[in-house]
Amino acid sequence: MKRAVPLFWLALLASVPLWLGDAYFLHVLITTGIFTIAAMSLNLLLGYTGQLSLGHVAFFGIGAYASALTSLGFDAHFFGIRVVHEPWPAVVGLAVGIVIAGLCGYAIGKLSFKVRGAYFVIVTISFAEVTRLVALNWVELTQGPLALNNIPPFTLAFPGLGEYTLWGKVPNYYVVLSVGALAYLVIRRLVLSRIGRAMIALRENEPLATSLGIDVTRFLVLAAVISAGIAGAAGALYAHFVRIIDPDIFLFIYTVTMVIMVITGGKGTLAGPLVGGLIFGMLPVVLRAYTSPVAQWIIYGVLMILVVFFLPRGIVPAVRERWAKR
Amino acid sequence: MKATFRAGLIAVGVATAFAATGAFAQIKIGVNQPLTGPVAASGNFVTNGAKIAADEINAKGGVLKQKIELVIEDNKSNPTEAVAVAEKLIVRDKVPVMMGAWSSTYTLAVMPKLMEYKVPMVVETSSSDKITVSGNPYIFRISPTSGMEATAFADRVGALKIRKADFLVVNNDWGKGAADVFSKMLKDKGVAVGAVETMDAAAQDLNAQLSKIKSSDADTLFITTAVEQLTLILKQAHALGLKRQIITTGGSQSPDQLIEQAGPAANGSYHLLFFPPWVPEATPNPAAARAFVAEWRKRGYPFAGLTEGFRGYDGIQTIAAAITKAGKADPEAIRAALWNTELTGLNGRIAFTKAGPAGKESGQSIPAVYVVKIDNGKVTLAR
Amino acid sequence: MDELLQHIVNAVMLGATYALLGIGLTLIFGIMRVVNFTHGELYAFGGYMIFMLTAMLGVNFYLALLGALVLGIVLGAVIELVLLRPMRGADIDTTMLIMIGCWIVLQNTEQMIWGGVAKSIVSPLPGEPLVFGPISVAWLRVFVFVAAALLIAGTYALIHRTKLGKAMRATFQDRDTAALMGVNVSAINTATFALGSGLAAAAGALLGAVFVITPTMGDLAALKAFAIVILGGLGSITGATIGGFILAFAEEMGAGYVSSGYRDAMGFLLIIVVLLFKPTGLFARAERIG
Repeated sequence: MKRAVPLFWLALLASVPLWLGDAYFLHVLITTGIFTIAAMSLNLLLGYTGQLSLGHVAFFGIGAYASALTSLGFDAHFFGIRVVHEPWPAVVGLAVGIVIAGLCGYAIGKLSFKVRGAYFVIVTISFAEVTRLVALNWVELTQGPLALNNIPPFTLAFPGLGEYTLWGKVPNYYVVLSVGALAYLVIRRLVLSRIGRAMIALRENEPLATSLGIDVTRFLVLAAVISAGIAGAAGALYAHFVRIIDPDIFLFIYTVTMVIMVITGGKGTLAGPLVGGLIFGMLPVVLRAYTSPVAQWIIYGVLMILVVFFLPRGIVPAVRERWAKR
Repeated sequence: MKATFRAGLIAVGVATAFAATGAFAQIKIGVNQPLTGPVAASGNFVTNGAKIAADEINAKGGVLKQKIELVIEDNKSNPTEAVAVAEKLIVRDKVPVMMGAWSSTYTLAVMPKLMEYKVPMVVETSSSDKITVSGNPYIFRISPTSGMEATAFADRVGALKIRKADFLVVNNDWGKGAADVFSKMLKDKGVAVGAVETMDAAAQDLNAQLSKIKSSDADTLFITTAVEQLTLILKQAHALGLKRQIITTGGSQSPDQLIEQAGPAANGSYHLLFFPPWVPEATPNPAAARAFVAEWRKRGYPFAGLTEGFRGYDGIQTIAAAITKAGKADPEAIRAALWNTELTGLNGRIAFTKAGPAGKESGQSIPAVYVVKIDNGKVTLAR
Repeated sequence: MDELLQHIVNAVMLGATYALLGIGLTLIFGIMRVVNFTHGELYAFGGYMIFMLTAMLGVNFYLALLGALVLGIVLGAVIELVLLRPMRGADIDTTMLIMIGCWIVLQNTEQMIWGGVAKSIVSPLPGEPLVFGPISVAWLRVFVFVAAALLIAGTYALIHRTKLGKAMRATFQDRDTAALMGVNVSAINTATFALGSGLAAAAGALLGAVFVITPTMGDLAALKAFAIVILGGLGSITGATIGGFILAFAEEMGAGYVSSGYRDAMGFLLIIVVLLFKPTGLFARAERIG
């Protein structure tokens, strides 16, 4: 039964392109999926270790830029040394995006877990802002405000059958769904393992956990690396799907979108970010007919405040409690 | 869980219902403009001009006996949003033709989508030379390239006694492209080129760049940016005591707004523009120009926006003429018809000549360029 | 040399407004332990208020400045009473999320009311600059500097010379003991948030007159305020004042001599460096975790 529920949802999601005729709606589903993956990765930090990292979009953006540049090629100077890179396939870009985002997660984890609370939050925001300014000003590498254009889509190579380029929305949908399912499994394994229990112990009572011999920084950094890697994967998917990225990808508002998804869905639960991601990914489509985008954001803001006030643990735990009471 | 599932189904149902209601007997034209963000003033003016054109066309009975409907979307002054807007307009609203996307960077970003979905776009503002030489047969540009501006300006260099020029440009395709072609033109004329300073489109404090320029020995400063930033630059340059002959390029400067908001700081500056609303009689189609200016005032739009608003008007008029010629609102038919479309817009004659690699040429019209000067709070046409 | 002098003058002019912005934020954090994400929106609110009062209602420029300050205080008090008072005792992350929600609502409401096009204000000060030899500065900038300096001095006087200030300092040092000694901590919280918000609105009104007013102007301002406060140490008013000037100098010199594109990055790079070597900021008192 425990396994059947996620499998049922996976099967349902996998069947969507078969009965959904509307291309635009599929487009929205794909971007929703990408942001949901990012929200899942944020949940690892926010929900399981209790660290409010508000620079998460940096890892998403770094993954997107790393993957895009790997597959586009570049000719730029790193500290005075000229580096010329020939284009590689998009799939390799995805891998490079995950690795580089993970490395950045390591570096930032090492630096920012020295501090807690307000300092930690501000350091993570500053980090995202610095990455945005680097993307904006390192024009030789990133094209700055000119944006990285014509990013190639993913290709699948079948031995003996040749190559197949994923131009359309349906194949991209399945790529996002597969990466999402994989990310879900990784996070699930992690939080159910000994490491996950150590993280939760940290969240609940850091001094106690420390006194029990849990190496705080090590576990936090590990969580940051995995979380950043998954966010990087989401960023890479985004880059190869929309096929253009610009420095505004690092804007604080995207982190806030992820935070809203996690908080409303239920932080520290596996299903929380999925529910939150679906709601806030689909809401624009539903609201569009009635309100302007500006009014939509006002609704989001109000919803966020209401959730924190009345459902502080999010939708999923609240629904579960109701279920249990029956 | 069950509840979420049901909510999801409702969302799907609602969304498909909306998608199905698109079939009115109206011809849709997509408009992709920056309505918010750092260059929003210009985008709103262009959109106002487009609305005037659409209302005028509909008042005269529309196109192919159908009303035209503008589907206006905000690209938030951002290239990625411009692509998202193009995707929405084509896939959801099913527009057969679009106008956009103001900045060269946004237009360049949208161009692959035109190839993907085979929908033509009339470019009303962007001036980067790159747009028409990249081999995109769905691009039809009615605004001049920076190269055309530089050429038109070349015979003024002597009269303005330019010996050495600095540049302060916005760090995107538009600004950098303008700096490149104007430097080349000046060098050919034997004028020295000094510093080329860049700035982010959203930057508001330009004191550092201007202090740097102040320490150079040039006599002229070329500026390329939108009107909001230009106002700040003129004010800050004046406050720093920067005494230079200032020349602005790109046609998005709204001299009246500069006079109103920068006051004495705008005095003595020259501006390259593509529509002079102060002297409708100097344009090729004085009657249309007067009518447009009158309608603009009647709607309560600021006079300063006219130098930008005409672009939207000309763009929609061009599209309407092409649809009439095509005989149906079909992307491929409109694309083919644009090649044979000819009309006199507010700027002048609009007709497309081939530009770019053979076999996949883009269309480029050759517009008129005007140079105006601000003198004691008045705009005069420099002849 | 002339260029350097000009850069120094520019930085001093800018530093005073940065300090004003930082003081408001650091007060709120120090006394209430709230990371105030609405600070930037109050800054933008101040800008829109001076625009509304001068351009739309025809109020005198100087009165409008005062009006922006007062309206900022009122809005701050409302936010505190409605959103923060019911959440007293909640942890720092929870209040932060509420403040983020409030930030989104405020920013988009501004955009809904005034649109996405930048607004600008025509000041009554002379357009001709003040010139000392090679140095030149606009009268408006001088006025903004003086006004900001007066507001900073006023805040210092309020904190150190009045009974309210004494109660605020007591709450800052030890909230529980202050409450035991009869300090009305709820009232102090409201007063602090209102004061901090008023200072942000004043900074927005002053800089709104120098630059232009847009719905997103608060975002960068908030980030800079965070940088200033981290530099000076969370909760330290002197630290925030000095932090404001440090940031202004770093930005101006960075833009003048390194690269103008990285102007806004200077503050964040400073933060990262400061946190590497002195994680609690340059002037912080002992910081509790959390």
